[in-house]
Amino acid sequence: MFTRMNEIDRMFGAMDLLRARMDRLFNETNRPYLYGPAFSLETNSPRTNLLENGDKFEVRAELPGISKDDISIKIQGNYLEISGKRVIETPEGYKSHRNERSATTFSRSFTLPDEVDAEKVDAALKDGILYLTLPKSETAKPRQITIN
Amino acid sequence: MTDRKDITRTEDKTIEKTRELRTATPSVDIYENENEILLYADMPGVRKDDVTVNIENGKLSISGIRRLDHQGVSNWEEFVDVEYVRSFSIPQTINVETVAAKLKDGVLTLHLPKSEAAKPRLIEVKAA
Repeated sequence: MFTRMNEIDRMFGAMDLLRARMDRLFNETNRPYLYGPAFSLETNSPRTNLLENGDKFEVRAELPGISKDDISIKIQGNYLEISGKRVIETPEGYKSHRNERSATTFSRSFTLPDEVDAEKVDAALKDGILYLTLPKSETAKPRQITIN
Repeated sequence: MTDRKDITRTEDKTIEKTRELRTATPSVDIYENENEILLYADMPGVRKDDVTVNIENGKLSISGIRRLDHQGVSNWEEFVDVEYVRSFSIPQTINVETVAAKLKDGVLTLHLPKSEAAKPRLIEVKAA
């Protein structure tokens, strides 16, 4: 049926498209972990979003109640690692009724779609969300080639 | 191949729906001492203006709406705009007038002071 390799390639290309569409479909359905509490004991990793915005990436991570001194961010090429710890201070002289927010250490690493310029990365912590702006490195940017 | 064309074409036709706001349950810690009940709730991404704390008939409801800006193409998305909602029963002895709320780093702190009448009191035994 398939006489040439590129026909097989194209078939798989169509399957990839279908898979991408299915993935997006599941984005819309009610995935409980999208709406649940920020940290869960099973995963111990904050939830993140990755946005691509022109020549930069934006990574956002849910880190409620964590001070900026307790977060460490490492970047190398297209590898990004966010780690840190969450300290829960039990107030003195109080008795505890409910403890759902757990003190924990966390770590999450990513491979970004492109290399980023580690020098120009900007990180901000606002309302318990870490905003990372990662400009793509010069080598990863699309370039117009003129024909002589 | 024709399959490939079909997939791209239907994509043009589908209308993107605006996502409705879902509700989530924030994680909470509750502490109590002689003077007050202390409540912490995790609400990452919620701004101060989008938090409401309502006390009515012994029921405390907290709500916080998170609105993220959606600029750029999303490569992966694990958390979305959400409304954090949770209700608690609180004793009638809470002094509603002096309840204090604070939001810092995505954590809501609620101080619920007990009224004077509800505080424990040591009764002195007098000699008859």
